[in-house]
Amino acid sequence: MNATAGAPPILSVQRVRKSFGGIRAVDDCSLSINAQSITGLIGPNGAGKSTLFNIIAGLYRPDAGAIWLAGRRIDGLPPYEIVHRGLTKTWQIPHELRNLTVLENLLLGAKRNSGEHLLNVLLLSGAVRSDEKQWRARAREVLRLTELDGLANEHAKALSGGQKKLLELARALMTDPAIVLLDEPVAGVNPRLAGNLMDLIERLRQGGRTFFLIEHDMNVVMNRCDRVIVMHQGHAIAEGTPASVKANPLVIESYLGG
Amino acid sequence: MAIDTGILINVGFYVSFSIVFAILALGFNLQWGYTGIFNAGIAGFFLIGAYTAAIAITPPTPPSPGYPGHLGGYQLPIAAGAILAMLVSGLTAIAIALPTLRLRADYLAIATLAFAEVVRTVAINLEPVTAGTIGIIGIPRLFTFSGTNSALFTTGTVVGVGAVIILVLFVVLHFIVESPWGRVLRAVREDEEATMAVGKNTFWFKLQVFAIGGALMGLAGWFFVMALPYLEPAGDFAPAVTFSIWVMVIVGGAGNLKGSIAGAFLVYGLEWSSVQLKDLAPDALSPSIPYIRLMIVGALLIVLIIYRPEGILREKKRVLR
Repeated sequence: MNATAGAPPILSVQRVRKSFGGIRAVDDCSLSINAQSITGLIGPNGAGKSTLFNIIAGLYRPDAGAIWLAGRRIDGLPPYEIVHRGLTKTWQIPHELRNLTVLENLLLGAKRNSGEHLLNVLLLSGAVRSDEKQWRARAREVLRLTELDGLANEHAKALSGGQKKLLELARALMTDPAIVLLDEPVAGVNPRLAGNLMDLIERLRQGGRTFFLIEHDMNVVMNRCDRVIVMHQGHAIAEGTPASVKANPLVIESYLGG
Repeated sequence: MAIDTGILINVGFYVSFSIVFAILALGFNLQWGYTGIFNAGIAGFFLIGAYTAAIAITPPTPPSPGYPGHLGGYQLPIAAGAILAMLVSGLTAIAIALPTLRLRADYLAIATLAFAEVVRTVAINLEPVTAGTIGIIGIPRLFTFSGTNSALFTTGTVVGVGAVIILVLFVVLHFIVESPWGRVLRAVREDEEATMAVGKNTFWFKLQVFAIGGALMGLAGWFFVMALPYLEPAGDFAPAVTFSIWVMVIVGGAGNLKGSIAGAFLVYGLEWSSVQLKDLAPDALSPSIPYIRLMIVGALLIVLIIYRPEGILREKKRVLR
């Protein structure tokens, strides 16, 4: 049990449904995430985990159901609006902006950057410059945090697979999220870097952020998550502490294997 | 001192039309090179700008035997023609963008190509407005000269005004594309979904860019009627114009403003010089020259796409402190 148990969940998914053609990718899925937790989402391939993440982040519109972020409904809102309310996601396959530099990738995460409004660019160049300067300083901080500072002015496409994973996280952090959905953050990342990345996530959690992550690496799930939710055939079939989930017969049958 | 003004005027035409294409290329580069919006209706926005300007500034031309007349006779100042051309083309771009900009790239291309062809067909057939295939004549010049060399001076002023326009456009566009606003455009080009997921209303950025690009194409239409005092819809606004602009931006370098200007002068230079050669070439060869030019442009494009796909002037990496 963590300290925030009993407090209202930061994220709550209620009876969400999504079909693609004849396939029910997410089927009557309900779950909730405690604030300041690291919650793992596991389940076999095709269970609907990534689809659920895309629905929560607003990239897909659910066919039915409701999603609440910090007490406000967010289902049906466009993705950028959901980011502004404090939720962002990363991808399993990194969506780095290839021909932009690492630093530029991060700067795009800046919220309320006055220079992103054309009229400000043309009329308020002083304010735009000072805003940009502050965001650059912030981006440099996040780059140090994610150990990408040496690569700031490299094109994102030049990064290794593991570095791109870090870039995804760094760019997400620039939006100052209350909760981050991470789709397989350590898949394809070498063990040392994966360890550092999870240490960083732990530190950020202690700083007040919430993480909800899809992961197949059982070492990460069992040792780093406070809670684990298991998805199978589009809905959540079990949840609890890593130890209790590991011992759940339903989970063993559908995912972990005998 | 005897100067062959014919040659100078001819070169002046080359520069003027290169400037027309450069403005179109800058508009398309902003849309596609920077933002990834593949507009296949360049000729349509160009046509709307040209006709808007011509109708706004031309004196009354009542129907007469052999001439159907057209909408207009407003005799507005030439500068007002430029502003109206940009406004009408820009607003048209917004109207086209609202239903189509959410489409995937290939569907957007089909929709915009169809738009341009509809516009051209309307211009050919809507005789009371456009004077149909005969076209609009008697469009006022920027400055009127008389006496010897007046044609040279007229061409010279068109070139001079065009050069100022290109310079101003370059400075302003450079300023905005290198701003944080421009950074969002490049992000949309790279990955629209990821850009949304970091909190950007990508549709809003695409809409702005499509409108600004459309307005630039309208401005090119206005400058076109400054360079040529009459307007006819069939050939000057055919889909081939759109394709030429694509080639100019690809050859010059997508995502590089100087590239668009260089691409326009280079690719139109090939066309212009082939016309000059046609006059000089022996009669037997002369009819083939336009086709030889198309072959050269095609070969140039293939070689470039294989060996330098980023164009002659590549997009620069933005190194930030």
